[in-house]
Amino acid sequence: MLRRGAPLSAEAIQVRSLTELDLDGIVRIGEKTRNRYEPDLWEGRVTYYLRRAPEGSLVAEVDGEVAGFMLGDVRSGEFGIEEQCGWIEVMGVDPEFAGRGVGRALAEEMLRRYAARGVRKVRTMVDSSMPEVEAFFTRLGFAADTLRSYRMDLDMSPVPGRD
Amino acid sequence: MATTTTEIPRKFHQAVEKWRDTYLPDFAYLMENWDRYFPRDDKFRLCAYRECGMPCSIECGEDQGKPKYTRACDMKPEAAHHLVSAIRAQASTEFGSIQQHQLTLARAQDEEEQAMVLRMMAEELRHGYQMLHLLTDDDWQPITGQTQEQTVEEILSMKTGSHVLGAFNIDFESFVDNIVFCALIDRVGKYQLTLQKVSAYSPMADSMPQMLREEAFHLATGVVPLRRWVVKAAAGSPMITMEVIQKHLNKWVPRAYEMFGDERGGATNVKWGLKPMKNAESQDQYAKECAKVVRDLNMRYLRARLPELTLAEAEEGLAALERDRGTFRGVKFDDLLRLPHREYGRRRGVPAFRWIGVDGETFESVEAYLSHLTRTLPDGYRATRDFQDFVDNLRAVARGEKTADEAQKAMPQLRRVGGVCPCSKSVRWVADEAIELPSSAVGA
Repeated sequence: MLRRGAPLSAEAIQVRSLTELDLDGIVRIGEKTRNRYEPDLWEGRVTYYLRRAPEGSLVAEVDGEVAGFMLGDVRSGEFGIEEQCGWIEVMGVDPEFAGRGVGRALAEEMLRRYAARGVRKVRTMVDSSMPEVEAFFTRLGFAADTLRSYRMDLDMSPVPGRD
Repeated sequence: MATTTTEIPRKFHQAVEKWRDTYLPDFAYLMENWDRYFPRDDKFRLCAYRECGMPCSIECGEDQGKPKYTRACDMKPEAAHHLVSAIRAQASTEFGSIQQHQLTLARAQDEEEQAMVLRMMAEELRHGYQMLHLLTDDDWQPITGQTQEQTVEEILSMKTGSHVLGAFNIDFESFVDNIVFCALIDRVGKYQLTLQKVSAYSPMADSMPQMLREEAFHLATGVVPLRRWVVKAAAGSPMITMEVIQKHLNKWVPRAYEMFGDERGGATNVKWGLKPMKNAESQDQYAKECAKVVRDLNMRYLRARLPELTLAEAEEGLAALERDRGTFRGVKFDDLLRLPHREYGRRRGVPAFRWIGVDGETFESVEAYLSHLTRTLPDGYRATRDFQDFVDNLRAVARGEKTADEAQKAMPQLRRVGGVCPCSKSVRWVADEAIELPSSAVGA
């Protein structure tokens, strides 16, 4: 096992397409990073991304273990976005490998694959309460976009204008 | 990831559609409800895909580095014959699996799982169509002696019992078969498609990437429901138990190993650049992958049985159970799933007709072994013709009436007796005598 905290060489990180066999590794990373055991959630998500395009989502292995993952999709449809756009939608890195180049290796491969598919723009959404994730994407070259997120909290009160 | 799409000649396309109407009657329902089950996904299309930008040079074997073949007539006759057998067998598996899945599709207890299997069936139809595309887009007659019409007719006329490979001649008994089949047999398919991705015949290689994309979903169609079922089993569900799942693993895993072909074979495929790996090597990798599937299911089960465990405790607990085969906080080793031994229940390959149990144990007599099979296989399967044939051959080998090699060859043969396929002039095939399998087999 590679020593915790040591920088990993590019050769030590194997990035490949997501498979259903990665489910346990992804659940494990989710549990470590979110402090929640959520296999149902990840089973649904992994199935979705495998169904959409298995080559569009990635896993990074170190010593044969899942050290990180990045799930993405090519789509259009948001207001104002007409062209097919690559999205980085979910990512996770095992805390054991945090800061050792796993996330960057995943992102670089994802961007390479999107480019090979003819995608010209790649987007992601990051909550401002996660500055370390913002910083990660900034270091990769992502910049703030015109796309803005809007939110409305639903409660139990009736919709205006309806009985 | 650029692809080209094409359709096979109209008469063959219509023959496939007619076949679909017969063996995949829920196809129209799938299309009508596609957006409900698979929102955002491109709608299914019955066509052949070819990947652009694939390697142009032969990637393995004695002609490595030379240009890949684009026409069968440019290949060595033996290599072309080998290849067309593999394409034909691959087509047989694709259409055959649909016939099997259809038997029990309606028995699914969960609508989402059923929809996933139905989509998978449609994609298997496309995979069969892709193989017909290979068979009708080139001139194979000098090699096969058959017209395109005869070849297509032959493939579309196969039914469960007359398909090329054993795994596709076994009837499903319940939806457990649908799911375990996806998890195990489609996994063999993934291996075969991956190996064929380097084929020296470029139309074959170019056909694989899209099939592999679809195959990734087929494996999830098996593994994800299994993961959910072991949770149900842990909760004591009357619907599914670990014992039922284990018996279905026992039913399908031996057939999966056999789909790789005889453990001693595969060198010819490598020599001709058709595949980069011999049979035993790919079977080894497959076994490791299946072991991971089983271990992940056991972890899911253990955590469902003992939800209070932390991740580290669960990992330690599972490791202890595997190591000591004892009990961990009330969960017994025997409660868990296990991958059947490589030689269990085999009827082809090196271990064919040996008396080896699920855990690799040996038996003193054929009857003792049959008693073990009785305890370890699904009840419904034991009532099938397939199992009866196996038992008959096992006893014949035990009595010295047949060698294991002779018993291995006791497979269905196809015989033309006339038929109804619209793409040719009325021929069909029925089970008859023994046939030889391709030296390296294929899968759905």
